[in-house]
Amino acid sequence: MLPNRSRTSVLVFLLPPLLLYCAAVLFPILQSLVLSFFSWNGISDMEFVGLANYVRMLTADDIFWRSFFNALIYLAICLVLQLGGALVVASLLTSLSRGRELIKTLYLLPAVISTVAIAFLFVRIYSIDPVGLLNQLLHWVGLGSLERAWLSDVNTVLAAVSAPEGWRFTGLYMLIIYAALIAVPKELEEAAVLDGASKWTLFTKIRFPYIRPVWITTTIMATTYGLRGFDIPYLMTNGGPGQSSELLTTYMYKTAFTSTDFGYASTISVFIVIECLIAVGLILFMLKRKAD
Amino acid sequence: MLIVIVQVYPLAWLFVTSLRTEQDFATGDPFALPSSLTWENYARAFETGDLGRNILNSFIVTMGANVLIVLFGMMAAYAIQVLGFRFSRFVRGLFLIGIIVPVQIALVPLFIDYSAVNLLDTYQSMIIPLAGFALPMSIYLFSSFFEYIPRETYEAASLDGAGPYRIFGLITLPLSLNTVVTVVLVNSIFIWNDFIFANTFVLSEDLKTIPLGLQNYIGAMGKVDWTATFAAVCVTITPLLLVFLVLNKAMIQGLESGANKG
Repeated sequence: MLPNRSRTSVLVFLLPPLLLYCAAVLFPILQSLVLSFFSWNGISDMEFVGLANYVRMLTADDIFWRSFFNALIYLAICLVLQLGGALVVASLLTSLSRGRELIKTLYLLPAVISTVAIAFLFVRIYSIDPVGLLNQLLHWVGLGSLERAWLSDVNTVLAAVSAPEGWRFTGLYMLIIYAALIAVPKELEEAAVLDGASKWTLFTKIRFPYIRPVWITTTIMATTYGLRGFDIPYLMTNGGPGQSSELLTTYMYKTAFTSTDFGYASTISVFIVIECLIAVGLILFMLKRKAD
Repeated sequence: MLIVIVQVYPLAWLFVTSLRTEQDFATGDPFALPSSLTWENYARAFETGDLGRNILNSFIVTMGANVLIVLFGMMAAYAIQVLGFRFSRFVRGLFLIGIIVPVQIALVPLFIDYSAVNLLDTYQSMIIPLAGFALPMSIYLFSSFFEYIPRETYEAASLDGAGPYRIFGLITLPLSLNTVVTVVLVNSIFIWNDFIFANTFVLSEDLKTIPLGLQNYIGAMGKVDWTATFAAVCVTITPLLLVFLVLNKAMIQGLESGANKG
């Protein structure tokens, strides 16, 4: 603590940021919570309905459950691509002697590009008429039978909208994990190699335990970002065809701004927040137990 | 090598396509090199949309939000970490909530609040939530940096009679320039590309930022002038890409250190 600080000075520094934060984040959270107990279309009077919105969401809304499971699959695909991909590339990068900086930069490029541009790009990659990159590639390697309109096929659309999100942020997580990997003390690795450890043991017994704290951070980051994924599915398919690529976030958005059912939309967004909190709690819990 | 190609090829393809003639694009093999190069798509891209306007708007929003994020982030971190007060731990916890909470929860309430105070369809309507949700990370980064400024520096300054405001202006602020660069770079990526807040709160053409402007390229009946669209995409990613390539080192370091402190 600074010796000659005064109460006023603390307030001068703290109040403006706190006010902005309350206006933009804290107050809206409370407001959503309140709204979730009401039925309101933005025009007529608000009507208190108690838990009715929650009951409807959990017991009577098929689209909600569909979106919930879609969101979990979306999350799983993103996690595999982002964390798995990042770990593999970061490990390869440490064994590379030249061009590391270049590869890091190239990998980070997609993260800089707006989601609208990425959505456009991938719509073209998946398209069948005119032939997009993916279908052409399949044709060349002799898997022509797999060619399809990836975004209108109910079986592939969810994976197709998840992949761009995974692709976009692999570089970001790769950087973070790479930074952790090169911080592993060389002596540890050398000692293990002298003891005859294979590359795999080296990785599982030395490197991975060493980067565990960073791994936890990245897992939490990727999970919370995955659960709030919205832009790319919304722009590419708007949840369709049918509800086959609907996520909780896109469903909430449509409920709020297409059906103007503000009360029910708030109920769904409260659910999304709780889901995020539970996910973070679960990750911490599981990783802690594994460590013990 | 192969994984690098998979990662980068779509972007190269995007650029090459923006130089293709329309006909070449519609009929040709997507992997082939274009038969002839043309800048015509760029001319069409500027005709179709108001790209200059969009870029200017994105610039205003990014600058506005960044000023708030840096200034307020630094102030709050200074109050919590350096000045210290009775409930500082509680306030810090309050700010940390913002890192986990998804931004979508604020959409409906802010939409209602904005329409009540006539803020819908303004620059502020985008800047406020963008800054608000980025603030926790900024406070966190500044606090971790302030920890490294030795106590003695402050005590010496205090003995010389400097109050909290002078210490902030003369010691803390100049020392944190590196962290400022990190915070600005990382946030600029997200703010420049923000889609959800702009899409929810902005309606008029005059205020559309780049992501919204790009959407205009989908014409009536879903017919899309793809080569012009790709040209527009190339134009709009250029400013950020240039900054990124120039400041690449600083940005990479920022991202690495930011996460590894956590």
